[in-house]
Amino acid sequence: MLSSLAHRALERAGLGEVRDRVLEGKRITEEEALRLFRCPDLAALGALANHVREARHGDRTFYNRNVHLNFTNVCVASCKFCSFARPDDRQASEGYTMPLEESVQSVLRRKGSGITEVHIVNGLHPDLPWSHYVDVVRKLRQGWPELAIKAYTAVEIHFFAEKFGKSYEQVLRELLDAGLTTLPGGGAEIFASRVRRKICDDKATAEQWLEVHRVAHRLGIKSNTTMLYGTIETLEERVDHMARLRALQDETGGFQVFIPLAFHPEHNMIGKAFPKPTGFDGLRTYAVARLFLDNFDHLKAYWVMIGERLAQTALSFGVDDLDGTVLEERIYHMAGAQTPQGLTEAGLHRLIRSAGRVPVERDSLYHVLRLHGPEGAAGAPRAATA
Amino acid sequence: MSRIRVAAVSFLNARPLTVALEDSARVELVLAEPSACAALLERGEVEGALLPVGALAGRDYEIVPGIGIGADGPVQTVVLVGEQSPAVWDEVYLDTASRTSVVLSKVLLAERGLHPKFTPMPADEGVPRARGTKGALVIGDRAFDVKANHVLDLAREWNVLTGLPMVFAVWAGRPGVLQPEDVAELVRAAREGMGRRTEIAQAFAREKGGDPERYRRYLTHRLRYSLGPHELSGMETYLAKAAALGFLPETRLRFADDVVRSRRVRRTVSLDTALQKGADGERLDPDEAELLDEKAPLLELGLAADQRRRALHPEGVVTYIVSRNVNYTNVCSTACHFCAFYRPRGHREAYVLDRETLGRKIQETLDLGGIEILLQGGLHPDLGIEWYEELFRWVKRDYPRINLHALSPEEIWHIARTSQLPLEETITRLVAAGLDSIPGGGAEVLDDEVRRRIAPLKCSTDEWLTVMKAAHRQGLKSTATMMFGVGEESRHRVTHLTRLRELQDETGGFTAFICWTFQPEHTRLAPGDNGAHAWLRVNALSRLVLDNVPNLQASWVTMGGGVAQASLHMGCNDFGSVMIEENVVSAAGTTFQMDAEEIERHIRDAGFAPARRNMRYQRLAVGA
Repeated sequence: MLSSLAHRALERAGLGEVRDRVLEGKRITEEEALRLFRCPDLAALGALANHVREARHGDRTFYNRNVHLNFTNVCVASCKFCSFARPDDRQASEGYTMPLEESVQSVLRRKGSGITEVHIVNGLHPDLPWSHYVDVVRKLRQGWPELAIKAYTAVEIHFFAEKFGKSYEQVLRELLDAGLTTLPGGGAEIFASRVRRKICDDKATAEQWLEVHRVAHRLGIKSNTTMLYGTIETLEERVDHMARLRALQDETGGFQVFIPLAFHPEHNMIGKAFPKPTGFDGLRTYAVARLFLDNFDHLKAYWVMIGERLAQTALSFGVDDLDGTVLEERIYHMAGAQTPQGLTEAGLHRLIRSAGRVPVERDSLYHVLRLHGPEGAAGAPRAATA
Repeated sequence: MSRIRVAAVSFLNARPLTVALEDSARVELVLAEPSACAALLERGEVEGALLPVGALAGRDYEIVPGIGIGADGPVQTVVLVGEQSPAVWDEVYLDTASRTSVVLSKVLLAERGLHPKFTPMPADEGVPRARGTKGALVIGDRAFDVKANHVLDLAREWNVLTGLPMVFAVWAGRPGVLQPEDVAELVRAAREGMGRRTEIAQAFAREKGGDPERYRRYLTHRLRYSLGPHELSGMETYLAKAAALGFLPETRLRFADDVVRSRRVRRTVSLDTALQKGADGERLDPDEAELLDEKAPLLELGLAADQRRRALHPEGVVTYIVSRNVNYTNVCSTACHFCAFYRPRGHREAYVLDRETLGRKIQETLDLGGIEILLQGGLHPDLGIEWYEELFRWVKRDYPRINLHALSPEEIWHIARTSQLPLEETITRLVAAGLDSIPGGGAEVLDDEVRRRIAPLKCSTDEWLTVMKAAHRQGLKSTATMMFGVGEESRHRVTHLTRLRELQDETGGFTAFICWTFQPEHTRLAPGDNGAHAWLRVNALSRLVLDNVPNLQASWVTMGGGVAQASLHMGCNDFGSVMIEENVVSAAGTTFQMDAEEIERHIRDAGFAPARRNMRYQRLAVGA
């Protein structure tokens, strides 16, 4: 139930009609999404998004326990926002490529720690053979049969297809045979070609990115999706990005979650020109995404990037999923993220509970593994402090 | 009224807690060894005891809140000694006098991966045998004189390991036995004892020989007698580690004032009604405020507060000030344990700013377009009113354009006390010397139930409000603050807000309210303690309850710019100050920083027009 305070605030903000459509469960238009973005009343916008979030998930807030594997940062692409990529393996350039066995062991040594997923994303390495990528997946699958392997962004899949002369389907089938579980959502950035030309003109285009996911969904592979906000894109371009995702989701239903990513300005080519997007921008982006992407189950905040405090706040602005315990994250930390490496499960529970929510551990496919009901000592979940 | 009997050790470290009980009409003191104190309490021969923390394990004893004996760094009187390094010890002789230190020794050695054989033995036999691969534990006053190649100070080791203080002993009683009057008497005695530490040191030196100054430093520099959130975390961590290693049974701490608390019977009020009343600017009573604090969802509180903010500040302007926070001294005799900033007098990091440094800071502030300095400091025992008067006159003479926003109520009390002046006269003289307004710091939670626990040696709620009232009467404006998330409950926060509101009705002297969460770096947090969610809620609630305070400042320094932006849509209308320096919060590990440009970007991005202001919250025509 949306409260009368929220009703009136939305009316005052000129969003009465949008509110009514949302409450009737109807889809909002791109033009309406833009109006939501421009809504001067963050609390009212948040209340509407929160209404949708609670109708879908109640107080449940999902997380998983995962480890990241970024086995190389050597990359032939030259995305302007990236602080992670290096042109080659030389030590002087801080480039690295982990040998196959080391990559595999870095994950396998976590066995028994309760981790359920590995997230594998890399640079576009000019020399690694196709077998390397397949072998990483295969060896992980053999060494840890129950581990979910979320590997290779659509940008990497496209790169493999071009470099090794295969179709997207061939690439994905071989990875699937080796043991792949899902695709991560990275590399989407902003779909608009104006933006892509300026910030990432030498990797998969929007159409190619979407096609990889379309093929994956057809093969039964679930995937995630992202949006990099806070560089040169306009609000219209953000809405366009989400509209293309919504359309593909209508077609396939294969997306599990939408993850907005804030641009991090340190140690990359355009950081000087663009300050980090503010928390306000993040919160309204989450809220609009929750309202616009009506065919997406989940909306995720990546606390590594926006900090634990803003991530906790985002739980009232439409977000129902927090990135997990995240061990070994490198990409955002090389861009200057100040957040700690890894949050303990207890820390994550505390963060979720003290926002009045219920922590739910999920697997890679969003099945509930464990529901962590209110803790005795935590008392009423909505109380401000213990 | 019958007297209760309490047992305590005769060690030097206990005397500040016991000295003022010697002539108590309420409490009779029985002296004993540490382990004997526990035994006397166990057998019911005494009602309370100064109990080694280890002796709480597995019992349901109730702790007297606010006071204890601990150390946050080396303590000198609990040490492991040996001829060789502990790494090679195969046997350790454990002083039988204290189980707490015995367990601490085992925990600390186990944390280093060392598992020697432990043999109980009185210290006077153990120490001479601590040769070769043998070590020995020495506790109490005899540790002052022990000489050895390797001395491991267990409080320091504990501090290095956990980042927390080690608490050695607390007053505790059997369940339900200690009455509020007994608790009050033990706290009173501790307060008095704090002021008699020099005298205690001298008496001890006459009794046992040794250097009185060394003993005084031990009592004033090494030991900490408050039991605040850090100490509680230290205690809990100690008990948890000892339990995890199987040295002690598991324990849940209980406090003497947790039980038999008569609760106000609350009226039934509807959440919607309370929210609507708040949003419409009607006065909320404490029942309604508590209900909102406990039950209202964040965004509902936020929407109601936003409606109030729009009514009070309809222009969509968010103000900020260019000010510099200068801490003129870090010497402080209060030793609040949520504070990571203070140093005792004589400490190698202790300082009092000289004029040259202060002048440079003021000039830099002016150069950056600043108009104010926020001047605060510790409670330095040697600085009387003349020092402040001269300082203020000098500032006003050399920098006439700068506003002096200075001295929290605690400091004003301190100056009055040190200079033996009435409060009114102290304020009059400070104003005459150039004081323009006063900051509302040190309020923490204005409820003595909470204050006793987190800052027992600080001024009381009434004292804090008395200073504000006196200052407002003389035409000074001030801010008001609240630091929450220290284990208080809804009713305490609501009491805080309603007491401020009452005084504001009377004086109208508060310009703004600012709240922030306790910054507990290195402590184990209770759920929700310092989160953004809790902070946004308390801000919104404050906007609704403080219907007569015009401005609400967003404390972005502790929460970060993004969460502070959200608060602008949930009750706040001011973005605080550009931070040129802020020692106290940064000492506790908070690192957010913004310059004027970044503050304005945040304000604009959140949909408001930025404007600079002065301390009276008047907008300045231009950026100064």
